[in-house]
Amino acid sequence: MPQTHRQRLFITGAGIVSPLGLDWQENEAAFEADRMAFRPVELFDVSARIAKTAAFVDLPAGCLYRTLSARHEARVDRGSKMLLLALREAVAMARLKDLCGVDAIVIGTSAGAMMLGETYCRQLRKSPGRQSGQLSLVEHYQPQRQMTTLAHEMGWHGPVLLVSNACASGANAIGMAMEMISSGRARRVIAGGYDAVSELVFAGFDTLRALAPSGIPRPFDAQRDGLALGEGAGVVVIESEEAAAERGATAIGEAAGYCTATDLHHLTQPDPEGKAAIRTMTEACRIAGLRPDEISYLNSHGTGTPFNDVAEGSAIQAWAGDDTPRIAVSSTKSAMGHLLGGAGAVEAVICLMALRGQWMPGSLNIRELDPVAAFDVVRTFRRARVDTALTNSFGFGGTNATLVIRKA
Amino acid sequence: MNTESPLVIRGIGAVSAAGWSVADLLDAVVEKRHIPTTLLPRTGSKRDWDCHVRLVPTPPPDRLPKHNRLRRASNVTRFAMAAAVEAMGASASASTGIIVCMMNGCVSFTNRFYQEVLDEPAMASPILFPETVFNAPASHLASYLGVSGPVSTLIGEPNIIAEALRLAQTWMDLGQVDQCLVIGAEEADWLSTEGVTYYDKRLVVGEGAGALLLAQSGDGPRLQNLAGPFAYHSNLERQTELLQMTEALAPVQADVLIDSALGVTRFDRQEQAAWSPHWNGEVLSPRRLLGEGMGSSSALQLVLAAALAQSHQRRALVSMPGGNTAAYGCVVVP
Repeated sequence: MPQTHRQRLFITGAGIVSPLGLDWQENEAAFEADRMAFRPVELFDVSARIAKTAAFVDLPAGCLYRTLSARHEARVDRGSKMLLLALREAVAMARLKDLCGVDAIVIGTSAGAMMLGETYCRQLRKSPGRQSGQLSLVEHYQPQRQMTTLAHEMGWHGPVLLVSNACASGANAIGMAMEMISSGRARRVIAGGYDAVSELVFAGFDTLRALAPSGIPRPFDAQRDGLALGEGAGVVVIESEEAAAERGATAIGEAAGYCTATDLHHLTQPDPEGKAAIRTMTEACRIAGLRPDEISYLNSHGTGTPFNDVAEGSAIQAWAGDDTPRIAVSSTKSAMGHLLGGAGAVEAVICLMALRGQWMPGSLNIRELDPVAAFDVVRTFRRARVDTALTNSFGFGGTNATLVIRKA
Repeated sequence: MNTESPLVIRGIGAVSAAGWSVADLLDAVVEKRHIPTTLLPRTGSKRDWDCHVRLVPTPPPDRLPKHNRLRRASNVTRFAMAAAVEAMGASASASTGIIVCMMNGCVSFTNRFYQEVLDEPAMASPILFPETVFNAPASHLASYLGVSGPVSTLIGEPNIIAEALRLAQTWMDLGQVDQCLVIGAEEADWLSTEGVTYYDKRLVVGEGAGALLLAQSGDGPRLQNLAGPFAYHSNLERQTELLQMTEALAPVQADVLIDSALGVTRFDRQEQAAWSPHWNGEVLSPRRLLGEGMGSSSALQLVLAAALAQSHQRRALVSMPGGNTAAYGCVVVP
């Protein structure tokens, strides 16, 4: 049985970049307005695809990196730029002057700089010979190389871990940061996740018939037809209670519980009963010292695929038991799409926003509720008391992760 | 971040161009056996320069576990699984964690799938895509071993395995698992091979997997003095940080240095310069023999060190300088 945390873990900063906005404030306003971000894909050709929409981040024009020339910044992929913006917001909110005193950075990603790899592949088909520019693409396609650029930008010389557990990557990254601090191995860790929409990933989900042909994801709707992809980044600064107190930091939330488990059922399909999800929700709550009825808000994995929502819905029912009807649940993927490796981190930040703002984001686009959603589905933005929040992330490969966050 | 107690290496496994076992790896490196290269042409189009690779040979009949998920999996999963099974031996336990480290991951399927997307978008295979995900090998391995607890995949340079060792220790410190399999794996594909030769045409790509079964007590070689990261942002900084790494490890008594040399001076110079004031003993360079195995390289260095400790009672320094992020080093003792 895992140990409980020896001391409280405070979240002192958070940053979010999503198709709904480039920071906390913009995202909060979008949730309040029940806004969606889906639009036709123009980044690559989707004429032969079943699905035609995704949710995109509109990055600011101009150079984002202070240490790079425009020419060098062109080597940075879109996802890493989103990560930089989220990281800056988190660091600013935590009132960290710099990253001195940060023991590690743990980042989840599923695709990394995939778009640069795609460019390399398209380019090589044009010629049998060596081509200029290809070395740069090979180099910068590697996500760890992108992290080195980011580390340079932030003046950081510590360990950077890249976690790639598919759609649970971001949640696992935050969980690993919690584990590092809980074990005494670190005192202050920056963690998060990111991913950008890419052609290969879009085509992959499309060939699996996982993308919604309608273009609109409807998690927990009886007639849901799939997910929509999104992109973005979420970052948090986590500190031990002692480390936060030493510098007089203000906590915006407490990272109270985390558990990861592996669903051995299938590479891409969840166990219909959601056994691993039951385990992660139960264990994360045990570590947090909370019962299911004490969870104010549950941000579901809620992709909108038939398989996922049944498995997660069943798992929530099994975990919450008689309290199921009282559990407030929504899927923010209904508004911003599935952010893959960034999803768990972004949704953790959304939980922090809910705790700070005392509201719950809506699970949009539901016409007729699926009976498996026996909980209190939050269908539009709701002002409510939120003391605790739980977020689920499930990924290909069977990686399940649950984070529990509460007011500090 | 450098306060670890020693990790006990309870088991090791290896798949490399030398063969499908630790014994094959150890024999090849100690005897400095020449392993022939083969050419890896593009599929579907031509290339006007040669890309050499040292491929893992066909597995002996008894070395590849039988598991239904292997039917669709690519080589990186097969390598990781075979190495893991060798490392696990009879140490099956319900409380095992798994951490797989990779650089390119399932590149062969990724390449095939994306070529299909470009050639005939509507016909791209849905079977291939799930296997392109970085954590597919870890998932298959967990399924085979029945591991339902923490299973994770780290991506990065070959030496990201150093952080995997720490993560394994964290999981064990917290009581989440009793033991942890840490694996570094990679498969060669014409796409990744071609990419590597953009750095230097003389580079030979390798593939394989190294697996370490780690615990906090019991019999087996000890992995200790894990030093790093010595992080750098440029080649100039790398030189300085490599000196820091070698200075950190210089006081450690050792019989042999297992370095990361590839046999191409421009890549090896800084590491050799960093060690030269501190080391004049025997040096083993597995990457020179096996090829640039990317995600498997550092893992195979560590497995080799453990094998030397186990069967030759030798203390081995392991030097993992990395290429564009950070350097790490450690020592493995009997």
